Amino acid sequence: MTSVKELRVSEDLVAAPMGKQPYLAFPTTRDVLRKYFRLVLRASASLAFISAITFVLTRAIPVNPTTAGFLYLVAVLLTATKGGLVESTISSVAAMLCFNYFFFPPVGTFTIAEPQNWVALFAFLATSLTASQLSARVKRRAQEAEERRGEVERLYALSRALLLIDTSQPSANQIVQQIVQTCEIPEVALYLRGTGELHRAGLEDKDIESRLHESAVRSAMLKDEETNLVITPVRLGGEPIGTLAFRGATYSDAALQSLLNLVAIALERANSQNTVMKAEVARQSEELKSTLLDAIAHEFKTPLTSIKAVTTDLLSASPSRLQHCDQELISIADESADRLSKLVTDAIQLARIEGGTFKLNLGVHFPASLVKSALRQMKPVIEERKIDVQVPEFLPPVRVDAGLIQVVLTHLLDNALRYSPPANSIIICSRLADDKVIIYLVDQGQGIKPEEQAQIFEKFYRGKNERHLQGTGMGLAIAREIMRAHGEDIELTSAPGKGSEFSFGLPIAPGSTAQ
Amino acid sequence: MSGGRVLVIDDDPQIRRVMRSTLTAHGYQVNDARSGEEGLQELRNSSYNLVLLDMNMPGMGGMETCRLIRASSEIAIIMLTVNNTERQKVDALDAGADDYITKPFSTPELLARIRASLRRMPQLPGGADLQPLMAHGVNINLSSREITVRDRTSRLTAREFGLLTYFLARPNKTISHRELLQAVWGPDYGDELEYLRVFVNRLRKKIEPEPSKPIFLVTDAWAGYRFHLPK
Repeated sequence: MTSVKELRVSEDLVAAPMGKQPYLAFPTTRDVLRKYFRLVLRASASLAFISAITFVLTRAIPVNPTTAGFLYLVAVLLTATKGGLVESTISSVAAMLCFNYFFFPPVGTFTIAEPQNWVALFAFLATSLTASQLSARVKRRAQEAEERRGEVERLYALSRALLLIDTSQPSANQIVQQIVQTCEIPEVALYLRGTGELHRAGLEDKDIESRLHESAVRSAMLKDEETNLVITPVRLGGEPIGTLAFRGATYSDAALQSLLNLVAIALERANSQNTVMKAEVARQSEELKSTLLDAIAHEFKTPLTSIKAVTTDLLSASPSRLQHCDQELISIADESADRLSKLVTDAIQLARIEGGTFKLNLGVHFPASLVKSALRQMKPVIEERKIDVQVPEFLPPVRVDAGLIQVVLTHLLDNALRYSPPANSIIICSRLADDKVIIYLVDQGQGIKPEEQAQIFEKFYRGKNERHLQGTGMGLAIAREIMRAHGEDIELTSAPGKGSEFSFGLPIAPGSTAQ
Repeated sequence: MSGGRVLVIDDDPQIRRVMRSTLTAHGYQVNDARSGEEGLQELRNSSYNLVLLDMNMPGMGGMETCRLIRASSEIAIIMLTVNNTERQKVDALDAGADDYITKPFSTPELLARIRASLRRMPQLPGGADLQPLMAHGVNINLSSREITVRDRTSRLTAREFGLLTYFLARPNKTISHRELLQAVWGPDYGDELEYLRVFVNRLRKKIEPEPSKPIFLVTDAWAGYRFHLPK
């Protein structure tokens, strides 16, 4: 969907500035008429000047033909320095004719008797025409230089104006406004290829939008001589990012290219500032989320710490201090505190992972020590269970976030402990693959039905027949997300009645060779 | 019999109550402070053997308190943290803590950590006396726990001292991470590589002329650390 944004420009901006030569503007019919009128006036003035000189030289102060020739030459030079090529050429020819008529014998006719006077006359004509040409060329150069200076000044003013664009507001609209104001181009339109937006000041043509679009797609410049419309693609690094159209101004190719570059840079600058701003907002929001989660963890864990300190202290005292009944009650409180603590830890871990606020703290670790650390963390839970660890020490070191891999291991182990009978052992073993060490966790529980296998990694999913078992339903979801953050995944092989096998790969640290 | 004087710095009144009651029951003399600022004041006023310091406190905060205590004292510090990420543990050890324990913890675990922190450090084998050591402009005076490197004198904390004496008794020999942890921290330890990393770095800052290019305490990749003693 293309959005069209209209920009109303005040009258004083559209009107050509008074008092300044509107050299950038295309000439109107009135301008052309005025120009021709001035030319005729100047030509007449130069003719009058030559006539006046002729009158003085023939009637007031009679001189010889040589002096007259030099004085005519001075008159032609004066005309050439003051006027343009047309006036100086007219006065050259007029002076030549007068010189011939009034000074070369036979005087009073256009005929020339002596051949050497032909030479003198043509030398005079050639000199005066050359002087006219040279003078006119100098004048034209000066005018061109003046025009270039004007263009550079305007482009400089535009570059400054574009730097001061308010980046919190849509930038394309402001760019159009600045071109209208600073470059004094009355009608401007800017089409952005990325968003399809069209911003314009004036340029109400019906088909302007499709023509802008066409120019952007074809990356080609369109010049409409009839309507004085210029449509040119705005490129950044060779890639068209939009189109600029304007009417009512002429620019040299170099100035137009600079104008387009300025627009491209301004658009790109606004774009990257926007990206930076978005990233900053996202970072701040992540930081806030992280701080909030830390605060929640602290608030929940502090009372739990008091409860745990009391229950564990009482339970660790020699049994004689407590009645059997008291011991049972305190154990219940202790286990409940553990369960609550695990719930809080899991919920916060999940929130952190889902909120994208966790970052991998990659380090180089031995697989065997990762497994051992996880087992040590689980010590109170696994004391009465048979865990068979077959992860050799000589496996190459892996590059992982040790803390998070321990979380994965504890969740998988917790899952295996929960869903397999206490008498059956759990096996943790490993295999060396090409560029990773694969860790397997095998239980001899009742297995998982094929239709449930995909679901068990979903949040809060609990096995249909195991609803009575305690658990947060978050462990496997957390474990899978952590492995995915490492670029790995957790594989499950399971058959009902035969137990389950969870496995995941740990990427071998670069530079360490598999032994 | 007193097991030692312990200062509990925690903003939560219930935790202070529980700590006071359980630690007193296990033979420690306990005092408490509600904030880092109050704790520092208390440490200036009377002497303690160990500080239990909460990481997350309003005001100065545990990390800053730990740094300030460590700047003027070699007292044993155990940090209580909620977050058990490795980054936070390393930060706590870097700030000068000797150990940390994650909330919620069990009382027996806390008692074991306190005992380990207060335990007398292993002596040099064979009753070797603590001779001053001088090499490469480094002067290690083991009896006063003072180290002078290029006119810069620093003192070792008890744990750093324990680690250094263990190294000095086995010069030019690679000692595995596990052996170091069990010998210096205690038999319950063995896989806490972050402890070693932080404490070896702390030692390097005190004994090495250029801590980033160690000449004494060198790392033997994947195997452990070695104290290189010039012959």
